[in-house]
Amino acid sequence: MELVAMDDVVFGFDDVPSLEDVSLEIRSGEFVAVTGPNGASKTTLLRLMLGLLKPWKGKVSLAPRGTSGRKLTIGYVPQQIAAFNTGFPSSILEFVRSGRYSKGSWLRRLNAHDHAMTEQALKQVGMWHLRHRKIGELSGGQKQRICIARALAMEPDLLVLDEPTTGMDQDSRFGFYELMKAQTEQYGRTVVMVTHGLSEVSPYLDRIIELERKEDGKWRCCTTTSCRGHFSPAH
Amino acid sequence: MEMLHYDFMQRAFLAGALIALVASALGVYLMLRRQALMADMLSHVSLAGIAAGAYLHWNPTLTGFAVAIAGAVAVEYVRRSYKTYSEISVAIIMVGGLSSAVIIMSLNQSVNKSFSSYLFGSVVAVNRTELMLMLAVSVLAALFFVLMRRPLYQMTFDEDTAKTSGLPVHWLSLAFSVVTGMIVAAAMPIVGVLLVSSLVVLPAALAIRLASSFAASIALSMTFGLGGVWSGLAASYEFSTPPGATIALILLVILLIGIGAKKAALQAAKRRSRRGHSGADAGGEAEAARFSSAVRVAEKGETRG
Repeated sequence: MELVAMDDVVFGFDDVPSLEDVSLEIRSGEFVAVTGPNGASKTTLLRLMLGLLKPWKGKVSLAPRGTSGRKLTIGYVPQQIAAFNTGFPSSILEFVRSGRYSKGSWLRRLNAHDHAMTEQALKQVGMWHLRHRKIGELSGGQKQRICIARALAMEPDLLVLDEPTTGMDQDSRFGFYELMKAQTEQYGRTVVMVTHGLSEVSPYLDRIIELERKEDGKWRCCTTTSCRGHFSPAH
Repeated sequence: MEMLHYDFMQRAFLAGALIALVASALGVYLMLRRQALMADMLSHVSLAGIAAGAYLHWNPTLTGFAVAIAGAVAVEYVRRSYKTYSEISVAIIMVGGLSSAVIIMSLNQSVNKSFSSYLFGSVVAVNRTELMLMLAVSVLAALFFVLMRRPLYQMTFDEDTAKTSGLPVHWLSLAFSVVTGMIVAAAMPIVGVLLVSSLVVLPAALAIRLASSFAASIALSMTFGLGGVWSGLAASYEFSTPPGATIALILLVILLIGIGAKKAALQAAKRRSRRGHSGADAGGEAEAARFSSAVRVAEKGETRG
């Protein structure tokens, strides 16, 4: 099933386009890395994909429903989201639980499943023992983890992460890759991740989307390299 | 409690309580959205509406109300072009509001005098219309904050992730601005420009420092606001000081004491931990602080077997 499709997308911030010829598709169950040097508009590509930016030309489409047939749920972890709002007065538990709010109405009572998913997400990122702490007291790496936990608690069809491993030590990074791979394999979730550490993560990936520079200096997408020969996504 | 025998004091305590509760809850959101000065700005903008109302011989309270809401909506749109600097939008609209207020007031010298009551408020001279307007706005605001508490939490933390998780952030943010405008406009003739902004900023500033959770920060902010207003009113009756300024000063004192107490508590905790245990459970924490994709796998195995 095709979750994201971008077709001949052009986008720029001022009068010159910074991204051109962007055509790609992402199917459900894939673990995809987006890579490219600094300034290659990787974040812009993600934001276009999520509909946070409108392309100048071309078409971006997100599947309206996930594989389960329910409304598509997107867990987005922006780059350095944790760096701002340091004084936000919220406990970690409250913050990760807010990932559950997007399921169903805004007023429904949270049930046992909601609490179980919150607990599981916090345990998966190794932050359960700190759940009553304030989010402002955490280190950068820990904040990154709880943002990931909030996205996981959403039970998302599509996880979009912008350089999630910045500030993590090596053990944590590999643990994180394992976790993301398990998400795609066990639940058929789709993971799209911007990363610079391609050499580390490539054994886990299904596909790499690379942004490369054209002769005239603009960035274009994409060479896609399939990483695992045996992988053939279900259409 | 002899002061409560007076009709005007009863009304003052009631109006004060309503404003204290909604304004200090609103303050928490405004502060976290980097719009702490929004209330200050809106009250100045609403002054332009009041001046225009007086000039055109319309009801100034109602024109002030309408202009404050228009100002709040304007801020919302200006804010979108200065995404990372929310406070700029506040400054821009404030310049527009205040300058037009001054010009309209100069056109009509005769009403100039009554403006001091708008600047400093007249909580002990609150009339029935103002009280009813305040009551209606408080009920509406309370409904908004209670019903929308989850989307508001998500939007206040980060608008992008709120959008991607499917919230209509555009409308929610606009509604929030309109509610802000309504609260400020209804509160201003009662407590004045000075007190509106101090009620929005000061209790929230302290609550955010002290509270351990979001829900607690709102509850604490409302408590500080209410405590400040009632003790301020009582003090102003006792010592015959102007009520608005007394309340504002008491709120400021509460803030300073609160921050001082928090610092002292931190110091004490530091001293205790230096003397006491030394990283006995650090090993356990490090063990727990790992990513694990195994949690679910183990559970699955159990349910299958």
